[in-house]
Amino acid sequence: MAEPPVTDAQLIARALVADDRHAFAELVKRHQSSVRACLRKLTAGNHALADDLSQETFVLAWRNLKSFRQEARFSTWLYRIATNCWLGDARKRKEELLGDRMDAVADENDSDVPHTDDMHADHARGTSLKVDLERAMGVLTEAERAAIVQCYHNDLTHEEAAYVLGCPVGTVKTHVLRGKQKLKAALSAYAP
Amino acid sequence: MTHDVTPPDSASDWLDRLLVADGAATRDEYIGDDGFTAKVIAALPVAIALQPSWRRPAIVALWGVAAAALAVAMPGAIVDVGREAYRLLATQPVSLSGIAGAVVAMLVLTGAGAAYTLRQND
Repeated sequence: MAEPPVTDAQLIARALVADDRHAFAELVKRHQSSVRACLRKLTAGNHALADDLSQETFVLAWRNLKSFRQEARFSTWLYRIATNCWLGDARKRKEELLGDRMDAVADENDSDVPHTDDMHADHARGTSLKVDLERAMGVLTEAERAAIVQCYHNDLTHEEAAYVLGCPVGTVKTHVLRGKQKLKAALSAYAP
Repeated sequence: MTHDVTPPDSASDWLDRLLVADGAATRDEYIGDDGFTAKVIAALPVAIALQPSWRRPAIVALWGVAAAALAVAMPGAIVDVGREAYRLLATQPVSLSGIAGAVVAMLVLTGAGAAYTLRQND
C-alpha cells in the first residue's frame, strides 16, 4: 500500500498552527474506521452508541490536540480517548443497554440462521461463534473487556494497551489473563 | 498477533486463535465514512477569535478612569451613597445566633455545591 502523501504529524501541525479544519477532517477520515470498530467491540455491537462515542472521541481529540505529545501513535492516542469515552458512558449507563442489546442480537441469530444443510451449518457456526464471542465479552468487567479489545482487536502491545488504559503493564496482563479465563469458560462449547 | 501477549497454555490455544482471528477480521473490515467525518466537523466547537493582549488592561484602565471621573465630578454623591449604605447595614438587627446560622447555611451550601461539582467531573 502506498504511503499517504501527508503524514498524521503534518496534518496535526496544520490543525494546530492554522486551526485548519480540513487537515483535521483528513485525520478523521483516516482513523474513523478503526476508532468506530474499536468502539463497536467495546459496546458489544451497539453501532449507534459506538458512532456517538466515536464522534465524541474526535471532538475531544480536536479540543485536546495541543496536549498530544507524539509519545504514542496518533491512532493509539485516539484509542485512549475512545476508551475513556466508553468507560465514562458505561459507568453512566451501568451496562443496562449492553445486556439488552446482546439479548437482541442473540434472538436475531436464533431466528435467522438456517441449520438444514452443511454449508449453511458451517456459516451458522461462524456467525454463532461471532455472536457468542460478543455475548461472552459481556460477562467481562469493563477493564477486562477493554484490555482484550486493545490487545487483540486493536493489535496493540501490552505497553501500548497500558498507555491506552492508563494503567501499569502488569495490570493489563492481569486483565487479559482473567478475561481470557472467563471467555474460555463462557465459550467452552467451542473448545476442541 | 504481533506482540507479547501472555504465552498461551495449550488449553487456551484455541481461544487465542479465536481472538486473533476475530481481531484480524475486525481490522480488515473497513467501515465506510457515510457522512461521519462531516458530522464530526460540524460538531467541532466554533473557533474563538483571539483577543489582542492589550485589550484587558485597556478595559480595566478605562473603568478606573471612569470611576475616578465620577468621584471627582460628584464627590458629595459618592460620600452620601457610602454613608447611607453603611447606615442601612449597621442598623440591621443581627444577633449572634443569626450570624452563626448564616455561616452554617453557607458552609452547607458550599459543601453541597462542591460535592455536586466533583460528582459531575467523575
